[in-house]
Amino acid sequence: MFRFGAILAGGLVLSACDGPLSALQPEGPAARGIGTLWWIMLVAGTAIFLAVAAVLVLAFVRPAWLRRFGGTRLILWGGLVVPLVVLAGLVTAAFALGERVLVVRQDEALRIEAMARRWSWHFRYPGGHETVDLLHLPAGRDVDIVLTSEDVIHGFWVPRLGGKLDAIPGHTNIIRLRADRPGTYGGVCAEYCGIGHAPMRFSVEAHEPEAFARAVGLPPDEAGGMAADGEGGR
Amino acid sequence: MRPRSLLLLGAGFTVWAVAFVALYAMLSVGCRFGWHEVALDMAGGLSLQRLQLIAIFLVHLAAGAAVVVVLRLWKDRGFLYPLAYFAAIAALGASVFSFAGVFFLSTCQ
Repeated sequence: MFRFGAILAGGLVLSACDGPLSALQPEGPAARGIGTLWWIMLVAGTAIFLAVAAVLVLAFVRPAWLRRFGGTRLILWGGLVVPLVVLAGLVTAAFALGERVLVVRQDEALRIEAMARRWSWHFRYPGGHETVDLLHLPAGRDVDIVLTSEDVIHGFWVPRLGGKLDAIPGHTNIIRLRADRPGTYGGVCAEYCGIGHAPMRFSVEAHEPEAFARAVGLPPDEAGGMAADGEGGR
Repeated sequence: MRPRSLLLLGAGFTVWAVAFVALYAMLSVGCRFGWHEVALDMAGGLSLQRLQLIAIFLVHLAAGAAVVVVLRLWKDRGFLYPLAYFAAIAALGASVFSFAGVFFLSTCQ
């Protein structure tokens, strides 16, 4: 009975790792970087937990071993040196990743404007075409999503493609996304914005270049050469 | 135990917290006003944004160091004083560790 329950619980937990909103199934460089950092933190966190648990068990089972190691040395290593090394590694990884995710000193990319309002997402493409709660992307290309809001602060998040960024009234934020291959991904509002926050979702469809041009009403020959003519200022 | 010694326990990390709030606020203010695009020749081409962040960082570093110096003088006054002294040293180290990014990280989009 216990084994059955454990398998059921484990299955339930693991099933949460799948699906259109799973950050553990990255489909783009930004999300992959975040996923890597998540795995590093999981492994490091597990190792720290096991080490602390081991010391705790030793304190009960073999107190003499700890005494021989010395109280001061235990505090110095366990409380200072090891946490500092672990934290320094994590901070370095996070800084390096943050620099890559931010859109600075990088090439121009296709720009799509995203306007959030309670409680829907409005996307506008270079040719002027607009969609609601559905974002079309060309697969395999960098796209800058120029975010802003009409009313309150919202949060733009496509977990399988990249990190979160706030959509703020009167201000534009830019997040760079790239979908490695065509497919449909989920997006959510990641900043509480009122009674309609939870259902404020949108879909992201990544297409081949020709299909993307068709979807947003652009002539097919323009699909390849519209990198720099997006609208919206930085 | 005088009440002041209890407050002193948090002195170092109060400086750290003030630095955190000041850097966070001025980072956003600077980005909004476009200070990252203002290059200052007299500062070797540094942007106004980076210069003001570095200035805030250094002012708080000096304040944290002053707290350490004062608490070092008071170290022998009672049980909590040496603890406050070591906490202030930890806060100074934490300031360098968490805020040194003002020298090299990107500030605005």
